[in-house]
Amino acid sequence: MADPASVGSGSLSASGTRSGSGKTTTSPAENYYLARRRTLQVVVSSLLTECGFESAEKAAVESLTEMIQSYISEVGRSAKSYCEHTARSTPTLSDVVVTLIEMGFNVDTLPTYAKRSQRMVITAPPVTNSPVVPKALAAGQKRVHPPYIPSHLPDFPDPHTYIKTPTFREPVSDYQVLREKAASQRRDVERALTRFMAKTGETQSLFKDDITAFPLIAARPSSIPYLNALLPSELELQTLEETDSSEQDDQTDNENAPSNTVTDEAGADKENSVLPPGGVVPAVKPSEETVIDNPYLRPVKKPKVRRKK
Amino acid sequence: MGDANMCVCVFICLCVTSMQNNNIFNLCTTHQVVCINNINFQRKSVIGYVELTIFPTVVNLNRIKLSSKQCRIYRVRVNDLEAPFIYNDPTLEVCHHESKQRNLNYFSSAYTAAVGAVDPDAGNGELCIKVPSELWKQGDEMKVLKVYIEFSLDQPKGGLHFVVPDIEGNMAERGAHVFSFGYQNSTRFWFPCVDSYSELCTWKLEFTVDASMVAVSCGDLVETVYTHDMRKKTFHYVLPIPTAAPNISLAVGPFEILVDPYMHEVTHFCLPQLLPLLKHTMSYLHEIFEFYEEILTCRYPYSCFKTVFVDEAYVQVSSYASMSIFSTNLLHSAMIIDQTPVTRRCLAQALSQQFFGCFISRMSWSDEWVLKGISGYIYGLYLKKTFGVNEYRHWIKEELDKIVEYELKTGGVLLHPAFCGGKEKDNPTPHLHFSIKHPHTLSWEYYKMFQCKAHLVMRLIENRISMEFMLQVFNKLLSLASTASSQKYQSHMWSQMLLSTSGFLKSISNVSGKDIGPLIKQWVDQSGVVKFFGSFAFNRKRNVLELEIRQDYTSSGTQKYVGPIKVTVQELDGSFNHTLQIEENSLKHDIPCHSKSRRNKKKKIPLMNGEEVDMDLSAMDADSPLLWIRIDPDMSILRKVEFEQADFMWQYQLRYERDVVAQEEAISALEKFPTPASRLALTDILEQEQCFYKVRMQACFCLAKIANSMMSTWTGPPAMKSLFTRMFCCKSCPNIVKTNNFINFQSYFLQKTMPVAMALLRDMQNLCPKEVLNFILDLIKYNDNRKNKFSDNYYRAELIDALTNSLTPAINISNEVRTVDNLNSDVRLILEEITRFLNMEKLLPSYRNTITVSCLRAIRMLQKNGHIPSDPSLFKSYAQYGHFVDVRVAALEAVVDYTRVDRSSEELQWLLDMVQNDPSHYVRHKILSMLGKNPPFTKASESSLCNEALVDQLWKLMNSGTSHDWRLRCDAVNFYYTLFGLTRPSCLPLPELGLVLNLKEKKAVLNPTIKPEAGGIGGVGALDLCANGGIHTPISGFPSSEEEDIDMDTVHDSQAFIYHHLNMLERPMSGHCVGSSPVLLTSGKEPPLVEQTLLSMPATPLPAFIKEPSASKHGEHHHRHHHHDHKKKKKKHKHKHKHKHKHESKDKDKDKDRERERDRDRDAHAFTSSPASGRSLRSPSLSD
Repeated sequence: MADPASVGSGSLSASGTRSGSGKTTTSPAENYYLARRRTLQVVVSSLLTECGFESAEKAAVESLTEMIQSYISEVGRSAKSYCEHTARSTPTLSDVVVTLIEMGFNVDTLPTYAKRSQRMVITAPPVTNSPVVPKALAAGQKRVHPPYIPSHLPDFPDPHTYIKTPTFREPVSDYQVLREKAASQRRDVERALTRFMAKTGETQSLFKDDITAFPLIAARPSSIPYLNALLPSELELQTLEETDSSEQDDQTDNENAPSNTVTDEAGADKENSVLPPGGVVPAVKPSEETVIDNPYLRPVKKPKVRRKK
Repeated sequence: MGDANMCVCVFICLCVTSMQNNNIFNLCTTHQVVCINNINFQRKSVIGYVELTIFPTVVNLNRIKLSSKQCRIYRVRVNDLEAPFIYNDPTLEVCHHESKQRNLNYFSSAYTAAVGAVDPDAGNGELCIKVPSELWKQGDEMKVLKVYIEFSLDQPKGGLHFVVPDIEGNMAERGAHVFSFGYQNSTRFWFPCVDSYSELCTWKLEFTVDASMVAVSCGDLVETVYTHDMRKKTFHYVLPIPTAAPNISLAVGPFEILVDPYMHEVTHFCLPQLLPLLKHTMSYLHEIFEFYEEILTCRYPYSCFKTVFVDEAYVQVSSYASMSIFSTNLLHSAMIIDQTPVTRRCLAQALSQQFFGCFISRMSWSDEWVLKGISGYIYGLYLKKTFGVNEYRHWIKEELDKIVEYELKTGGVLLHPAFCGGKEKDNPTPHLHFSIKHPHTLSWEYYKMFQCKAHLVMRLIENRISMEFMLQVFNKLLSLASTASSQKYQSHMWSQMLLSTSGFLKSISNVSGKDIGPLIKQWVDQSGVVKFFGSFAFNRKRNVLELEIRQDYTSSGTQKYVGPIKVTVQELDGSFNHTLQIEENSLKHDIPCHSKSRRNKKKKIPLMNGEEVDMDLSAMDADSPLLWIRIDPDMSILRKVEFEQADFMWQYQLRYERDVVAQEEAISALEKFPTPASRLALTDILEQEQCFYKVRMQACFCLAKIANSMMSTWTGPPAMKSLFTRMFCCKSCPNIVKTNNFINFQSYFLQKTMPVAMALLRDMQNLCPKEVLNFILDLIKYNDNRKNKFSDNYYRAELIDALTNSLTPAINISNEVRTVDNLNSDVRLILEEITRFLNMEKLLPSYRNTITVSCLRAIRMLQKNGHIPSDPSLFKSYAQYGHFVDVRVAALEAVVDYTRVDRSSEELQWLLDMVQNDPSHYVRHKILSMLGKNPPFTKASESSLCNEALVDQLWKLMNSGTSHDWRLRCDAVNFYYTLFGLTRPSCLPLPELGLVLNLKEKKAVLNPTIKPEAGGIGGVGALDLCANGGIHTPISGFPSSEEEDIDMDTVHDSQAFIYHHLNMLERPMSGHCVGSSPVLLTSGKEPPLVEQTLLSMPATPLPAFIKEPSASKHGEHHHRHHHHDHKKKKKKHKHKHKHKHKHESKDKDKDKDRERERDRDRDAHAFTSSPASGRSLRSPSLSD
């Protein structure tokens, strides 16, 4: 009976260790952090040994590690600030020196300290898994900066974000199929559209027995029927523009005069007050040939005051 | 008292002179001011005044007759003195109480008399102004009289047309506009004037309109001035060139203005939003100007020109002095192919009429042909220059065929009717059911044919005297006129601006030295065309062509021709012209041939134009050297030629003759020869790029006919299919048409036509072959216009027409009802296409809605052939006002057709209602003319539709319902003629019965107690009473409000004067006047009238007698009211007495009365109860 219990506890502890190991190996970044921390711990321990300690409580070592980490972090942060302050992106030695001085450290003592005889050399931590930049976004080779771009400027983004990558299937080149397709597509669109219009609006029917058979959109009289019948539809205008633009040229030439006449009509009041009576309003821009003297373009006169008898 | 009597005498004498010598004017207008100071679009009313400056040309001018219709006249002043006037328009109601007559002969003569009674050409008019006696003396000295007339128009039914769209916004935003219109001289409908083409005067025109509007009128726009409140503008026009009143027009609207970029004195106007179209359409006008000025070597006579494009136009083109009014539907964008030549033709027509018609006017109605002829002729020259000789010759042939067909059908068009002696007995055109004495009695179709013949005759004259001389004559006429036009008024100078037949002929003989008398006699003074039958035989021994030319001059519409005729013979050695003399009895002509038949020698054959061609001569007769023969190839006779020659000759003619007319003749002849050789000739022509496209189009239809005749032996694919495939389909996939590219217009027209012709093919079962139908459906399916710079609306419309053509009658099993289920599968496909097209039109309308028009036609055809149930409701909805006019006309055509096929009285009624009520004059006219062409029944056939009510309705329509529009009235007359013929409609009770009825009515008139009985006999009587009531109401309502003590020489008196004259003047129309008015009786209008009625039916004299009492009843009726007001007038039933009375009173206390009357005039009176207003407003047509 104890067996299952021990097994049970064993399994429990196993799960506990697994969870612990799980904690250590969860993410690469965390892993990295832990590795550093361990290195620092080694450093602290060696310094302690150097200072003559034989043993230390784990808690004390932890505290010291914490302190040194904070100190180094602060040096780094501060140095970065200094370098950024001078508009650089990478801290230099002087940045670090200034930082250290700022933090009240006597820098002069550093070289001698570094060269002390009893120092212990610690091997670099075996960085097994380097910090993994999330790889998902990197695609293709990043372009290097051309010579005229200062290197401090940010790198090019990944090529896929700006390079057009044409992806196409082999086009259907068979003329007949194309025409067939265009025709049936248009017909389907038209049919669907007219059906829709017929369904949503009033209809007329050719058959009495089945009024839905060939629904005709009901004829609706309009108040100005000639406009719709004479003016080209937008669709037609569009195709005209697409097919030909050269013909428009001579049309635009003539456009100035009438547009002026319209404004002339409308703004006759104002102009009248400014211009001497009977004066011809420059209906056409001076650059455009001679002034057109047409009675319909002349301004409207004000009534004569001495009309009353 | 004695004085007064004398006055009456003078007055009557004057009447006599003016009536008897119709053509002598006793006055001359020299200047006229027209001022319209208010145009109300909301109420559709117009207020204004006119002032005529008149030179009396006789001493003692005491009566001035002016033309005025439907104007309400408030006051008339002559040299600042109030003048009494009467206003009488006999054409308002042509036949008064003779409702039982109902025969067209009677109506026609009455109508002619009515029109004649107010004919301004003869110095008559509706408005008769009595010159105040103070001015008589002045008149003696021939001083100027100024006649000032204040008038208004309220909802005019003719003359001016208001278009006021029913939408939000002010009038300018709504695009509301108004314009003048009319058929011939119709200016009197909108202002009082001397409405004659021969009365010229200078003009000053003033129009005050809303500040957002533009008023376009004749002459030079001198200035535009704001009114004091700055809300309106006054347009001041001056027309210094003497112009006849009918050539004056007006258009007011919120027009967009376009100054012609090439000619700054030319201004174009269109309705809002259409400016881009206007720019494109007008970009061409200057070329027409240049052309005319060049050939006439004469500058455009006016200092400016204006074109106005209006909606709901009466006709497509109407020309007035220095301006033209066009239908807005002529405007088009650069994408439209088919409309472009049509519009350019219209512009050219308008411009040619500016020279001849507006600037040069006519002396009298019988000279109209000269003006129409010259303007049509120079228009033809323009066509030749712009569209090419082929187009010109094709057009001449078309016009010739038209006139020939019309004359043979109706019996002749007379260009220059001579009314010698003024006796209607020798009516020059007894075959017609209308009189050609006045333009206003002509049927519209006749008038169109008249114009057609006129220009053809001008062309004949050109053939005789050469074009150079012709143009010299025109130049001479124009330069004389322009010299005259710059003169100040002199009595005879201005007459140079009037053209008469004799003047024209004189000018021709002066310039050319040639005598064209026989030609004029043949074609101008005489009606009818020549009908030739030709055949030939080749005499081998003599090497002579024996040609036989026979004439038919006995059937109606024909005349005998004697004189030269040209015959062209194409032989192997070349083409030879021969001029033969057609003489009384010579039928046979021997023409020596130049070549022996030696076709073995391979030699090129010279053609008429000098070209030498290789021909395959294997088809021809080995013995004869003749290739083909043509009679009158230059169309220098107004003729129809039926010529017999062998099929191979026609084929050679088609292939090798270069004249399009010859080719077209050959094509129509080949229809009778359905052989493989004909097929080949036609196919070759079809393929030949150099061949004129209209010939090729015609060949398509001929080929279809031949193919149908050759059905059993036809080999290969259906006619034209492979050709079409080769020309218009893709090389790689022949079943798919190329994407549209209409840059080559000739192939465009061919591409449009071929499917339409192919759809006419039929197989053994008399069905359209499945292959053809599928082919057309494929064309529709694969139609792709995306790459085209032109619109394909006409092409698609023609494809629908092709579908329509492919329809054949449904196999109808035991009259079952047509349902969706038993729809033929082919028809289902067609119907689907039509449904889709018609629905797409609602979303993306095509230019001029051509596709809707074709769809409506197709649906009617489906109905007619029994594929779908026959039902007019769809068409009726499309025929409503508010659809584009082309759509309406197409829909109405379908309704008209339905009415005939289904004999539906309901639809006929609906159509006739529309004739009476539709706002668009063109549509009204169109309905009647379509009904006339496709009548529900004819005089020859029995029909349930033919009943008394219909007769009454139509009679009323032409008698009084259409008095505002000459054209419409003539249409109504035509329709009546088509339905019932000249005599009394057969559905009415027998004439004897009518006679009894008339008798009763007579009694009823004499004794009012019998009245109801008379009315009870038939609906007719009742109707008449209503009509009478309509006339009398205004009269009875009018003077009762007057005070009793007001005396004679007042406006009030003038009213009495008027009533009296109304009676008097009505009589000529109402038949016999017995006794009471001897003066008018002898006016030359009565006797023939009686004769005519006598001729038409023996019973008519009686109704004529009855008229008298009825007229007197009329008089009595209103006099009864006078009794209330004027006890003094008690005894004045006889008008002579009335005159006496009036003058007597006038002499009594003239001055005092005048004072008083003026005061009162200034008050409400002038605007309330003018007799003219009463009469014009509540004309019988309106009172119902």
